[in-house]
Amino acid sequence: MNNSLSFSYQLAIVLVMVVIGAISGLYLPWYALGILFGLLAYILRIPTGRAFILGLVSGFLLWAISAFWMDGQHPSSLPGRMANLFPLGGSVIGLYVVTGVLGGLTGGLWAWAGAKLRFK
Amino acid sequence: MKYIKSIFPLALAIIWTYALHNSWGTLPPLGKLMSPFHGFWVNAEAPESSELSEQNLQIPGLEKTVTVVYDEMAVPHVFAENDHDLYLAQGYLTAKDRLWQMEFQTHFAGGRISEIVGEKGMISDQFQRRMGAVYGAEKSFEGMKEDPKAAVTLQAYSDGVNAYIESLTERNYPLEYKLLNYAPEKWTPIKSALFLKNMSFVLASGTDDLKMTNILRKYGKEVAENLFPNYPFMESPIIPVGTPRDFKPVPIPESPSDFIGLGSAMKTSEKDPNIGSNNWAVSGNKTVSGLPILANDPHLTLSLPSIWYQMQLVAPGVNVYGSTMPGTPNVIVGFNKNVAWGVTNVGSDILDWYQVKFKDASKAEYWHDGKWKKTTMRIEKFKIKGKEIFVDTMFFTHHGPVVYLSHEKPFKSNIPVGHALRWIAHEKSQESTTFYKLNRAANYADYAQALTYYSAPAQNFLFASNQGDIALWVNGKFPLKSYTQGKYLLDGTDPKADWQGYIPQSHNPHAKNPARGFLSSANQSSVDPSYPYYMGWQYAPSERGRRINERLEAMSKITMDSLRGLQNDNFNIRARTLLPLLLAKLKSPAGGVYGQAANELKRWNLQNAADSQGATIFENWVSLLHEAIWADDFSADENVPMNSPSMDRTIKMIQDEPDALWWDNVKTKNKKESMAEIISGSFIASIDSLVKKHGPIGSEWAWYKHKQTGVRHLIPGMDALSRLNIPTGGGGTIVNATTTKTGPSWRMIVELSKEGRPKAHGVYPGGQSGNPGSAHYDDLIDTWAKGELRSLLYLEKPEDATGRLRKKIILTIKK
Repeated sequence: MNNSLSFSYQLAIVLVMVVIGAISGLYLPWYALGILFGLLAYILRIPTGRAFILGLVSGFLLWAISAFWMDGQHPSSLPGRMANLFPLGGSVIGLYVVTGVLGGLTGGLWAWAGAKLRFK
Repeated sequence: MKYIKSIFPLALAIIWTYALHNSWGTLPPLGKLMSPFHGFWVNAEAPESSELSEQNLQIPGLEKTVTVVYDEMAVPHVFAENDHDLYLAQGYLTAKDRLWQMEFQTHFAGGRISEIVGEKGMISDQFQRRMGAVYGAEKSFEGMKEDPKAAVTLQAYSDGVNAYIESLTERNYPLEYKLLNYAPEKWTPIKSALFLKNMSFVLASGTDDLKMTNILRKYGKEVAENLFPNYPFMESPIIPVGTPRDFKPVPIPESPSDFIGLGSAMKTSEKDPNIGSNNWAVSGNKTVSGLPILANDPHLTLSLPSIWYQMQLVAPGVNVYGSTMPGTPNVIVGFNKNVAWGVTNVGSDILDWYQVKFKDASKAEYWHDGKWKKTTMRIEKFKIKGKEIFVDTMFFTHHGPVVYLSHEKPFKSNIPVGHALRWIAHEKSQESTTFYKLNRAANYADYAQALTYYSAPAQNFLFASNQGDIALWVNGKFPLKSYTQGKYLLDGTDPKADWQGYIPQSHNPHAKNPARGFLSSANQSSVDPSYPYYMGWQYAPSERGRRINERLEAMSKITMDSLRGLQNDNFNIRARTLLPLLLAKLKSPAGGVYGQAANELKRWNLQNAADSQGATIFENWVSLLHEAIWADDFSADENVPMNSPSMDRTIKMIQDEPDALWWDNVKTKNKKESMAEIISGSFIASIDSLVKKHGPIGSEWAWYKHKQTGVRHLIPGMDALSRLNIPTGGGGTIVNATTTKTGPSWRMIVELSKEGRPKAHGVYPGGQSGNPGSAHYDDLIDTWAKGELRSLLYLEKPEDATGRLRKKIILTIKK
C-alpha cells in the first residue's frame, strides 16, 4: 500500500474520474457517478488514504463546473429561484457549491468504498 | 472485524446514495434534483433569440404534417389539415409547456393527491371523491362521447399529450416532478372530463344550506328571511330589466312541506368568495369603429403556472384564437374571424342537500316517499404513497352521494353530515361540444345552438359578432324549483323536495341587442324578480355589476383602450354609498392617528389605487365593522357555522334601522351598544390594527402593501416559484377585482371587423411556459399588474410575415 502518489498521477486520476463521470452523467442515472468512481478506485488500485479525497475533488469539480457551465449555456432565473428554495438566500454561487459538495461526497464515499474493498 | 471494516465505506456510500435518491418529508431527492446532468439544472431554458428558428419534431399518430409558429409571447399558432391532427397537436403542445400542471390539477380533481404527497393529502382526496368528482366525470364523459366530433377531439388531445410524455426521459421531466419525486402517467380522455368537472368545484360548489339551516334553527324563519333576503336592495341585474320574454313559462313545482333540518357541522375554510368575473359587450352604435367590442376577465385564484394557456387553432372549418385550459381541448374564451365570446360565473343554486333517514346501520335502505328504498354503493380506492391501499365505500340515494355519514367529520365547515348531495355536476353533460361549436361559430344562431349542449358550471356566455350582434345567455342546466327551494337543507324523505326537472334551456335568461347598447355580467343576480323561475337567492355582491353598467351607460365613442380602462377601474362604488353614512356617525378622537386616519378618509377619492391609504383604511374598517355587528350573533359557536348577512343587507340596516337589535353586542351582558358605538368602536379597532401592522400612518399604509396580491405556485408554500407583493390596486368589490389571492386571470378585449382580421388584446398574470426555468414562466405578470394588455396575433396562415414570430416547429408523422 503506497500513499505517496505523485501529484501528476493524482491529477491524472482526477481527470479520468471527471471525464468518466461526465460521460456517465449524460447516459446513466445520477448515482452511476459514485459506482464508477468506486470501480475506478478498485481497478486503479488507488490507495485508501487518497481515494476519498480524489473522489471528492473529482465529484466536486465535475458537478460544480457542470452546474456553472449549464447555467452559462442556459441563463435563466431558475438557479436563483432554487437558491431561494433551499434556502441559500438566492445565492447562485452558493448553489454551485452545494451542487459540487453533493457530487463530491458521492464521488468521495464511493471511491473510498472501492479502495477499501481492494485493500482489505 | 477486518471484513466489516472493509465494507463499512461501501455501506456508507450505499446509504448516502439511497438517502439522496429519495424524498424525505418535504425534502426532495437531492442527488437526482441537484445533479447538473439530471436535476433542475437541465430545466433551465435560455431566452430565445429574436431570429426565427426552425425545428422538426416527429409525432406518432399524426395523419398529416402540422405547422406551428410561436410568437414573442410564446403563443403557439397551430395549422393542421384536419380536426384530428389539430387536437393531437393541441394536446402535444400544451403538454410541452404545461404537463405537470395538467396532471397535478386532474390528480387533485380526481382525489389522487395522496398518491404524490402521502397521507396528508388524504382528507382532501376523500372529500373530492365523496362529493362525486370522479363519479360526475365518468357520467359527463359518457355524454361527451355521444358526440362523435367531441369524441375524436378528446381522444386526439389525449394521444397528443401521451406522445409528449413518451418523448420524455427522467432528466427532462418538468421541474415539479423532480421536486416531488414522481413520474408522469399516461393521459386518458376522462382526465379532460375530470378537468371540466373540476371547474364546477371551483365555481359552483359553494353551499350555504347548512349555515342557513343553523340560522333557521336559532332565529326562526322570519329573522332568517329578513336578514338574508332573496334579492339585493341594490342591484343591476345581468339581463336588463324589461327585456321582452320570448317563451311561455312551464308550471312551477309545488313547494315541499316546511322542514327544519338538523343542521350542525364543524369549522374549516371554504370556497373563496372573491372568485367571480366580469364581461361586457358594447354594440356598434356606442363604438368608434361602428362594430361591437367584447371584453372579458374571468376572476380565479391567481396561480403559477397559470390556469390559462393561449393558442391559435387553425384547420379546415376553424380559425380560433383565445385562452385554452390545459387539460381540455378547444379554446374556452376567445374569438374567431366573425365572433367573440367570453364567460363569467352564474351564482345560481344548483347544489342541494337532503337529510337522509337510513333504516339501520347497514345503510342499505333509506326512507323516501313513504317507503324504504335501496341505496347504491360505489367503491373508491386510494393508493396513498407509502401506505396500503385504502378502500372507501360511498352510499348513494336517488338524490346523489351521502358525502359524510353522521359520525364523520367533514373536510369543510359548510358540508352537512348525514345528507345526500344533489348537484348539477353529477349530470351527464356535453360541455366539450359547446366549446367545439363556439370555436367554429360564425353568427348568433351558431352561438345559441352551441350553448344548448352546456350543463355546468353555468356561465354568463357573452357574445358579439361582426354582423353587429351582441347577446348574453345565462346558460347551463338549472333545476326547476319552487320559490327558495334549497335555500335551507331539504327533507330527503319528502318527494316534493326533489328536483322536478329543469328549466327548459330556451327559457334560460337571455338578451340580444338591447336598446341600451350594451350587455354585461359580473356574477350579480341574473335577472330581476319578474323572471318566472327561481334560480337562487344569493349571487355575488352587486358592486362590480352596478359600476360596469353605470360606466357603460355613460360611455360613448368607445374604443378598445377605453374598455381596457374600465377593466382596470378602481372606483369603490360601495364606499360611495357607505362611507358618508359611516363618517356621519363616527365619533373618534380628533387628534393623533385616529384624526389623521379620519381626515385621510375624508380626502380619499374613493379609488382603490395601489398607493391609496384611504382604501386601506376603508376596507379594513368595513371588514371589522361587519364582524363587530354580526360575529356575536352568527359566529359565536364554531360548531354551529352560520352565514353572516351580506354587506348589502348591512348597508340597508345602517341606512334604515339604527335601532335594530343586531347593533347590540350580546357578549357584553350589562350594556346595550348603539349603532354609533359599533361604528366608532370598529373604526378605532381598525386603526389600531393598521398601526400595529404597518406602523404610523404613511406610505406603508398603501393599499397594495396591505392587500399583498400574489400569484402563487400550485404547490402550497412554494414561494420561490411564486410572485408575491405585486403592486396592484383593486379589490373584491372593485371592477379590477384583484385581491390577495384572486383576480382577473385572463383579460381579453376583442374588436370585430367586417372584412379584415379581428383586433384583439389580452394578458394573463403568468406566462405561456409552466417551466420556472423559462423566461416565459411569468413574463406577462408585470404587463398585467400595470393594467396593460398585449396585442394578440391572429394569423391567416403560418407564413404571415409579422416580425413577431420566434420559432417554427414542423410536426411530422412518426412511423
